[in-house]
Amino acid sequence: MTAAPDAPRDQQDRREQEHREDRDRRVPAAREEAAPASGAAPASGVAPAAPASSPPAETRIERLVGHGFRLVTGRAMAPYQTAVVRIGFAATWLLFLLREWPHRAELYGPDSPFSLDMARQLLDGNHAFSVLPWSDGRGWFEVVYLLAVVSAALLMLGWRTRTMSVLFMLGVLSLQNRSILIGDGGDNIIHLMSMYLVLTRCGQVWSLDARRARRAAERGEGAGRDLPGVVLWAVLGLALAVAQLFGCSGLSWFGHGPFPYVGWGLALWLLWAAHGLRWVVDRRAPGEPRIVLDVLGAVLHNGALLVIMAQVCLVYATAGWLKIQGSRWQDGTAVYYPMHLDYFSPWPELSVLLGTSGLLVLLITYGTVIVQVAFPFTVFNRRLKNVLLVVMVCEHLSIAFLLGLPFFSLAMVAADLVFLPTPFLTWIGGRISELRARRTGRGGPAEPSAAEEGERAPAGT
Amino acid sequence: MQSIGDESRPVAALSLPSRIVICMAVSAVAVAVAVHLAMMFLHIAPENTLTKAQGSAISEYVYPEYEQNWKLFAPNPMQQNVAVQVRAELRTGDGGLRTTGWTDLTARDSRAIHHNPVPSHTEQNQLRRAWEYFGSTHNAQNVPIGVRGELSEQYIRRITVRRMEPEWSRLGRLERLQVRSVTTPVAPPHWSSEKISDKPAFRVLPWWPVTTADLPEGTESK
Repeated sequence: MTAAPDAPRDQQDRREQEHREDRDRRVPAAREEAAPASGAAPASGVAPAAPASSPPAETRIERLVGHGFRLVTGRAMAPYQTAVVRIGFAATWLLFLLREWPHRAELYGPDSPFSLDMARQLLDGNHAFSVLPWSDGRGWFEVVYLLAVVSAALLMLGWRTRTMSVLFMLGVLSLQNRSILIGDGGDNIIHLMSMYLVLTRCGQVWSLDARRARRAAERGEGAGRDLPGVVLWAVLGLALAVAQLFGCSGLSWFGHGPFPYVGWGLALWLLWAAHGLRWVVDRRAPGEPRIVLDVLGAVLHNGALLVIMAQVCLVYATAGWLKIQGSRWQDGTAVYYPMHLDYFSPWPELSVLLGTSGLLVLLITYGTVIVQVAFPFTVFNRRLKNVLLVVMVCEHLSIAFLLGLPFFSLAMVAADLVFLPTPFLTWIGGRISELRARRTGRGGPAEPSAAEEGERAPAGT
Repeated sequence: MQSIGDESRPVAALSLPSRIVICMAVSAVAVAVAVHLAMMFLHIAPENTLTKAQGSAISEYVYPEYEQNWKLFAPNPMQQNVAVQVRAELRTGDGGLRTTGWTDLTARDSRAIHHNPVPSHTEQNQLRRAWEYFGSTHNAQNVPIGVRGELSEQYIRRITVRRMEPEWSRLGRLERLQVRSVTTPVAPPHWSSEKISDKPAFRVLPWWPVTTADLPEGTESK
């Protein structure tokens, strides 16, 4: 652990950032060359010169673009935050699936009042992706549900994270799109994040992949053969080919996919090919091809990370700005009402208790609106953001209990986690490693701290 | 071994083709992110100049996978309890017709949720959202709007049959069923001087004949 756990976190955060900027300054050539806007500058690739002495002075904008370019190509940012979002969403979905295990056939399977034929009618209209309509059999449904459970568990643990993130997404989309009328806001955010997570390198730390890579590095080995990974890749490729050969619905090449002109068939083959390419390059072509793949992966990761953060802000912004316009949120009684709805009052005694104080209800009502409206703007102020983060996590935990919405709240908390400060996360990681080492009572050095893990984990996970 | 902490990765030292590939990738991702976020924003923003002009392009992009709705408690929280109640017309053993009393399905859901820290979607969402869907696919005269309206009617029937059939089949063979909703406003808090009518509002649907399509799969028609 590099940072003392007791030091103020914000200070640490800033120190880390300065450190980073320091290092940036040490590679001026990269800044110069990397900037697409400075293309007019003479190619100085042969002899990297100091930036100050280069003849055509960089404008501010060019410098800014160059800085941005280096930032997004430099590394997959926020390894801890993406890892904790991965763990949070995988755990939420896993717990939800396990809780609904007795009801699984009624929610998504053959016992659903929304029959598969009805689901097909809707899916034919909206072209949402689901593998469940591929077969009417109960066996197929059970296999898909089980795969959703297993992929969520393995994604949480970070075992073959890249592959599992894709299977996790397919599980989420297949179940939710088959029974579109059974979900709530929690399912909605899991749906979105399951797709975004596929494009992030969310297994760089706190994953079995990272541990495997670390141990291989300790033994002085490079990337090994990774038999399970290869088998998984081959089996999934085969499965996708077979599904397409049998003309299963939803696997078109162009259209009705996750992005305009990209069908689900094409998207899945692209992901599959990228995994394969990465494996080959890691083993056969270290050097430039691997660096290029690393950079491309980092660029995708950083794009998806930005989308995740913006998405969380959008959720709060919409909820907050709409509330401002509501008369109940204005007169300070809004919080009173949901607690008196049949579907959201598992603890009527508590609702009555809370309903006795008009002042308390007013404070919670106004506080909710203030926090939700303010949050998107506070992400630019570390300290304020952290305070609001704590408030929001607490509010969601109380919603979980008071309104009987545990999975919705867990999902929202998991989304909030993307904004946690790195020192806090590494500190938590360190504590957990320490605890585990003490628990197992192993001799020798404890598990390397989370901070080290981050430095040494491979980029390909 | 390339490590993730290594920030001084020399993009500049790469060959020209590699740099071109990377530049193109950065541009493509930047455009994709910008488009995606713009679409997400316009999707959840209130109707405005841009969404009125480009509504179909936005929906085309957003639906079905990026749809989102964060209006659960906004602009105002729900302030009324909607109870869905059902009754049936049964053919009894002696050939006569028998109409059952109203059964409050929502009250059963509430009982299942009561003191339950982890309510199931079957209790909390199934009937509630089915009824919302019915409302959004029917006009005020309960006439279905398009195919989805009929789909929602079938959904309500199938939920009802699935929940009530064990009780009803003991009394007779199910021939028709009727659904109604009872909407009761939540009483304002005691410190509020507001006066609202606490009279429930009824929405009574016509009797629906029950066909084999409404029965759970694998049920033989009797």
